[in-house]
Amino acid sequence: MRLQLGPGTTGRRPARPAAAAALVALAVLAPPGARRASEAHADGTLSMRGVYYKERATRVMQPMLDGAFEAGERGLVTAHLLVDAITSASQSSGAVAAEPFTERRYEGGVGYAHQLSVGKLGAEVKYSTEPDYKSLYAGLRAEAELAQKNTVLGLGGGLGRDTVSGGPASGLGQLLLQCDPQVEQEQDECSLHTYAVFASASQIVSRTAVIGVSADFAALRGYQSNPYRSAIVGAGTSIGTLRERHPDQRNRTALAASARYYVRQTQTTLIGAYRYYRDDWKIRAHTPELRAVQLIGEAADATLRYRFHAQTQKAFFYEERYLMEQPFLSDDIKLSKFTTHTLEAKLGVRGEAFGVPERWAGARLEAILQYVIQNNRFGNAIVAHAALTIPFTY
Amino acid sequence: MTRVLWFTRTVRYRSLIAVLVSSLALPGCMVVRANQREFHAKRAMTNDRDPGEVRFGQHATGSREGADGGTGQPGGGCGCN
Repeated sequence: MRLQLGPGTTGRRPARPAAAAALVALAVLAPPGARRASEAHADGTLSMRGVYYKERATRVMQPMLDGAFEAGERGLVTAHLLVDAITSASQSSGAVAAEPFTERRYEGGVGYAHQLSVGKLGAEVKYSTEPDYKSLYAGLRAEAELAQKNTVLGLGGGLGRDTVSGGPASGLGQLLLQCDPQVEQEQDECSLHTYAVFASASQIVSRTAVIGVSADFAALRGYQSNPYRSAIVGAGTSIGTLRERHPDQRNRTALAASARYYVRQTQTTLIGAYRYYRDDWKIRAHTPELRAVQLIGEAADATLRYRFHAQTQKAFFYEERYLMEQPFLSDDIKLSKFTTHTLEAKLGVRGEAFGVPERWAGARLEAILQYVIQNNRFGNAIVAHAALTIPFTY
Repeated sequence: MTRVLWFTRTVRYRSLIAVLVSSLALPGCMVVRANQREFHAKRAMTNDRDPGEVRFGQHATGSREGADGGTGQPGGGCGCN
């Protein structure tokens, strides 16, 4: 959920919530000058983004659309729609000698945040569907603004329900799943329930600095294996593979801290963040990150980012090869010990830099290039984004 | 009772309380008035990443790292577990 108003959405004027969705499309599609200034009621933004992701065995293209628009004097509606097109990958997510496949995932979500005198209340629902995985998530979040908005405390929770199957329902070649690792019986599909709680706090500490902390807790109950992955089991001449079998319970905790500092002399914003993760599968991870955002004149900014991720402890049941059958088996390298380094460059330019008409001056064009060094069998990855955000009035 | 014990173990409420109590103590340190917060209005000081960028980043790390979370809210399903 997005509770902060984005650039260009700070003006608060009355609007009709019921007509808002239709007006978003109308406002964006209408040619400049088609509307009179007196018809303006509220502001919004529409963002179009395309992402390309490529690594050794996986290639993903993800076009997406994000909208944010004011509803009433104190409301902000957000919505998104995306398609995840995995055009060449392995369903077993990096497994050796996996079969290539093509799949598409569709996701849509809508959220609403309401500004109160002492803070904000928000809600979000999103749904994702692909042939072998459906996911529904609903969450609530409350924010309290204290000390003239110098302090913001956030508290929220969410419920998720995922349904996993071993391929297209009733289709040929559909895999049956062992939903409970303790029960041999196999079923067409299994479910996974997620219960999440999260808390955050941010504090302005000077005219140029703000700090924040957050804590996330999630309890997962249900099927958490990949139906297409198999672990290598055995030794000597009796080596075979057995389907992956993960525990059906997992409790995850993540604590994070961040700081932002604006250097007036150089118009640079320095951002530092650190996250510590642990769960009861015994995984431990440290993730520090640094970003520097440099303003270039009035209409452009450039960002350099470095992120380091180290999983210092593997899951208690994870082995690259099992000598004999175990209660839990895994071929998921995400559960192993490894490190990643992410290097990123981003450039954002506002429309006014191109001398375009006033209507488009507030538009933002953005390009991102990432290189991810993954010290595991996923191999290194490149990620590229291109995005255009258009503010509008309706 | 079992549920209470589960909550105690899993949610680690002590960490949560520590975060909230620390935060409540912070306002006493300093109050920067609204007319002194011009630098906090800069894009990079509020949120330098768009929702779509953040969402894709969370989805990518969620499907490539076993240590998801810590971003302020949990994600949905991903299909690449």
